[in-house]
Amino acid sequence: MVSRSEKHTDVVIVGFGWVGAIMARELTQAGLNVVALERGPRRDTWPQGAYPSSIDELTHNTRHALFLQPSQSTVTVRHRESDVAAPYRQLAAFLPGTGVGGAGLHWSGCHWRISPAELRLRSHYEERYGKDFIPQDMTIQDWGVSYEELEPHFAFAESVFGTSGQAYKVNGKIVGDGNPFDADRSTPFPLPAMKNTYSAELYSKAAAECGYHPFRIPSANASQAYTNPYGCQMGACTFCGFCSGYACYNYSKASPNVNIFPALERESRFELRAECDVLKVETDSSGKKATGVIYRTSKGEEVRQTADIVILASFAYNNPYLLLLSRIGQPYDPKTGEGTVGRNFVYQNESGVTLFFGQDKFTNPFIGAGGNGVAIDDFNADNFDHGPLGFVGGAPIWVNQAGSKPISSATVPKGTPQWGAHWKKAVKDNFQHTISIHAHGTNMAFRDCYLSLDPTYSDTAGRPLLRITFNWHDNDVKMIRYVTDRMADIGRAMKPESMSIETKEFGEEFDLRHYQTTHIAGGAIMGTSPKDSVVNRYLQHWEVPNLFVIGSSAFPQGIGYNPTGTVAALAYWSAKAIRERYLKSPGPMVQA
Amino acid sequence: MSDKSRSGGSLVCGRRAMLQGTALGLVTTAFFHFPAASVSEAADAEYVYRPVFFSSDEWRTLSSFVDRLIPADAEGPGAIEAHVPEFIDRQMNTPYGHGSEWYLRPPLMKTSATLGYQLLFTPRDIYKQGLPALNGAIMQRYGRLFHQLDASERDQVIGQMEKGTLTLSPISSKLLFGQILKNCKEGYFADPIHGGNYKMEAWKMIGFPGARADFTDWVDRYGARYPLPPVSVGGHAVQGGV
Amino acid sequence: MKRRLLPVLAGAICVLQSSGAYADNADLIKRGAYVAVLGDCEACHTAHDGKYLAGGLALQSPLGAIYSTNITPDRNTGIGTWSYDDFVRLMRRGIRKDGSSVYPAMPYPSYSKMTDEDLQALYAYLTQGVAPVSLKNRAPDIPWLLSARWPLAIWRLLFAPSPAPPLPSASYDETPDALVERGRYLVEGPGHCGSCHTPRNLVLAEKAQTATDGPKYLSGGFIVDNWVAPSLRSDDVGGLVGWTSEDIVAFLKTGRNRYGATFGAMNGVIAHSTSLTNDHDLAAIAAFLKTLGPPPGVSVETFRYDDAVSRQLFAGKMPSEGAKIYVDRCAACHRTDGRGYPGVFPPLAGNPVLQGPDATSAAHIILSGGRLPGVSAAPSSLVMGSYREVLDDQQIADLVTFLGQSWGNHGAAMTAPQVAKIRQATTDERRPAGD
Repeated sequence: MVSRSEKHTDVVIVGFGWVGAIMARELTQAGLNVVALERGPRRDTWPQGAYPSSIDELTHNTRHALFLQPSQSTVTVRHRESDVAAPYRQLAAFLPGTGVGGAGLHWSGCHWRISPAELRLRSHYEERYGKDFIPQDMTIQDWGVSYEELEPHFAFAESVFGTSGQAYKVNGKIVGDGNPFDADRSTPFPLPAMKNTYSAELYSKAAAECGYHPFRIPSANASQAYTNPYGCQMGACTFCGFCSGYACYNYSKASPNVNIFPALERESRFELRAECDVLKVETDSSGKKATGVIYRTSKGEEVRQTADIVILASFAYNNPYLLLLSRIGQPYDPKTGEGTVGRNFVYQNESGVTLFFGQDKFTNPFIGAGGNGVAIDDFNADNFDHGPLGFVGGAPIWVNQAGSKPISSATVPKGTPQWGAHWKKAVKDNFQHTISIHAHGTNMAFRDCYLSLDPTYSDTAGRPLLRITFNWHDNDVKMIRYVTDRMADIGRAMKPESMSIETKEFGEEFDLRHYQTTHIAGGAIMGTSPKDSVVNRYLQHWEVPNLFVIGSSAFPQGIGYNPTGTVAALAYWSAKAIRERYLKSPGPMVQA
Repeated sequence: MSDKSRSGGSLVCGRRAMLQGTALGLVTTAFFHFPAASVSEAADAEYVYRPVFFSSDEWRTLSSFVDRLIPADAEGPGAIEAHVPEFIDRQMNTPYGHGSEWYLRPPLMKTSATLGYQLLFTPRDIYKQGLPALNGAIMQRYGRLFHQLDASERDQVIGQMEKGTLTLSPISSKLLFGQILKNCKEGYFADPIHGGNYKMEAWKMIGFPGARADFTDWVDRYGARYPLPPVSVGGHAVQGGV
Repeated sequence: MKRRLLPVLAGAICVLQSSGAYADNADLIKRGAYVAVLGDCEACHTAHDGKYLAGGLALQSPLGAIYSTNITPDRNTGIGTWSYDDFVRLMRRGIRKDGSSVYPAMPYPSYSKMTDEDLQALYAYLTQGVAPVSLKNRAPDIPWLLSARWPLAIWRLLFAPSPAPPLPSASYDETPDALVERGRYLVEGPGHCGSCHTPRNLVLAEKAQTATDGPKYLSGGFIVDNWVAPSLRSDDVGGLVGWTSEDIVAFLKTGRNRYGATFGAMNGVIAHSTSLTNDHDLAAIAAFLKTLGPPPGVSVETFRYDDAVSRQLFAGKMPSEGAKIYVDRCAACHRTDGRGYPGVFPPLAGNPVLQGPDATSAAHIILSGGRLPGVSAAPSSLVMGSYREVLDDQQIADLVTFLGQSWGNHGAAMTAPQVAKIRQATTDERRPAGD
């Protein structure tokens, strides 16, 4: 029951992570009044990131202090249509964020762009490898936006994030030893690349010896103190190793809280309401116009907030979840392939190699930063010939030493018992002497991987849980096994005493028990036609033109890189379209 | 949030808890007593902790269990010296112990193990129902309680639990083993503010510098051994004089 | 709090636009709003979470708390019935409408130097540009014998015997002399910088009222809420020697510069006054402060960096207990070389706060932490957390002693009992000071 209504506003934003902060900033600058609703509590560097209490692995990494706990809300998961889904009861495989700043407060900081080929993946593969190359049930498609269109927004997002990196090519000129597979850039990175850890240095040398092209990962962990275009300040990263899962104590990891909120907070046109959980988007009787949202406060009160523009900016799968709950758009049906909401749910596809060097070589894995390291892109995107390989996709391969902590990363060689004196000695002998290499790759969209509402389970507000139907397909196993072999070659070139390899087996089920990545995407994808996408190239809903759905939910398939950089660029791109086109003539910006 | 480990107040509480522990120690030194040599000697003879959650039977079982998961030896501290049982007892009184972070709504589904935990037991339930079940099964087989087994007998039982070949109900031996092992490693390696990793000895053993949070001067000294000892979030109150 | 002024200004502008007849008056009110910024009325006359200028802020005095008064135009509880003459008598002579004397916390000896134009504008603003708030003034928590106001009249007669004549003021002439004179007016007059930055005598009178009264003026050392106000003079390394005018302007405008960052009692001054002061006036303040140095030709001690300690720390060798604690807890932001990240995390090498004979501020900020005010020119409200629970008295004493002796600093040593006193006095500060 709605017990009261708040004063009408120009724009209501659902979720205050990176997208919410970017849209709020851009739209208040355009003179609009903006209300942002965030499900979780207020958070900031102080106190959530205060030193020393933030440097506590148990509280943050093991007990997930900053994440959305399943008891508050979760999803159900099944591997296939014929299974019954079960709830994701304990956080493990992926860790959704909540609270002011969203996962942007406690992410790692890998800040990538995207390969131009990935933005038109289906067209690119069909052109290069022929129409038959893409399997029948693989529902990959083009995004409807080009790299050239997004480039200025990638560049501006980097200036806001204070991204550290080494460019390869700026305005057509080679400027340094960056990633030679990178597309052209209009600007260099705002900060120089971070220093390499020893592990990254060794990896870089070995990768070059193997004939590959190592470069330093673009990182939103600041290599120097920095002031961004909003006047917001960052400290310099200290390589403390407490990034993913932690709020950065010294303002050196970009976050909505550090890089945007201080400027936004001073805007009289902006209001942030925390602990306001949006239950649904309301539409008028025509169903073609969003009128606002209903949210539930922490006191259990239901409140209506009307607005001229509604922006969904919540965590990846929560955007399509809200559409399903609000009955906006046609839910996807895997049997017929019709409907769009929930279609093309995707993940990322990873593997790793751990090298053990013995006690004379100190790699000091506790030194690190979430976005730090060296990568090669030789096996990412379509930077290599897929023709003889028979799979779509790829992965960057990197040493991204993010800082090992002993509860989560007391890595021991394969075959070591899990407990007892041998385990203890193995931890002692190896903790300071290991290096991990990872492949962080694409996951293609398939007809049978999608989101829907669960028929059995509900949350504390009585909402049906979101149901994920997802499993690995042979294409992705082929890809990751191929890339893992290349990764192992580089590992061997680093001459460890021993090496363990984690990869995927054909037929292996998606396993929720171990952390993989929180890079979830799809479900409310962007595209060129309302038949196979929820939003158009400006992230505007095809049927409800005053509704914008922005985030990794818009990715039509899983990309090789971490998603945040692309999400931020899409938000700036959408904001520009709203400011320059939509406000002048509210209505669909692309004719269906 | 009532989890004290998440508020600034925890440090004061930690100190107060230690003081109370010492005072209580005068009347509770005999609260649990191991048969000679069955459990590693605690490094600090003065140390007494009165469990809040565990009964004395459960405490003895738990202590003698973690003593085998991480035994004391010349390499470094064992779980008992690291005060792992105290850590676990304190954790049971946090939201985590009560399972309040987990989704614990019915119904239960019979599913693939890959979908993760599909029971409704909280960590407290797992211990409260699992430890007596373990002792019952051991009493039947050996005519003694778990803590009265010698080290190799305990290792054998734990090995069977790890494989799930020991039958326990309603908490399976695999579930109980997994819970204790997870919490034991947490207590061994967590910051001492949570009650374990006493004097950061486990960190010292492996060379983890703890809550230093600054390697600016060390990141590019390739191959150098980091020379500084660890520090704790808790500082002077829990660091044990380092 | 930081946005409170804006609606008022916007209101004044509305008046201006809505009716030409009131344009002059609206302009006067707008100028008055700016004078209120220069005088930082808000600092004392707005309570934490209280209504703008409605008073009620507790000001600690050695005798007990006194409470600032309601200066909104409310007719019953504010100054709504005060005539301009009543207002001027208070501002120039410290005498209230009812004839009683105000506590010397009200810096009327400084305000007496304000020009008639500024006082008229301020009066117009306070009586017409501010929303009336009904809030009764609160009696001081001073025992009744001591709370009698007649001794204040004697104090007033002794230490503020006659109102200083208004200083020449609003020159926007760009000549260096005019800039200095404008700065003198702002600092000695409405800015009342001497209230904190000039040492006081035993009866709490400032030892110098103006620059011409001699080198005690703005020479620092007065302790406000357990913060030591630093010298604003350029006589030695404990003051602003080495700071350029641009450094001073940056500090006042943003609360931070390459040498340091604001903390403690200065935070409010930055947030409500200097960050809202226009660039010309900030340049004037800087130009005037730079005249408070030794006579030309006399050399003063400037800070000289010494890298002995940073070389030891870099090598992982700890010369003292204080050094260990510094590397454990402080070096991440302030660096082992003590140079910090200028503009973000203050350098400690050469920091004026670490040069003087009294290290109270250093111990206080370690105990309580600090929060930089976010201002329009620098919105980031950077926080240093509190170390109250992390470090004990001896450790803080060792640390402060280390800071005072490292990298070329000439600071005071500190003992555990000294830290204990500051800890006790600041025990209620559970959030970073300035928060």
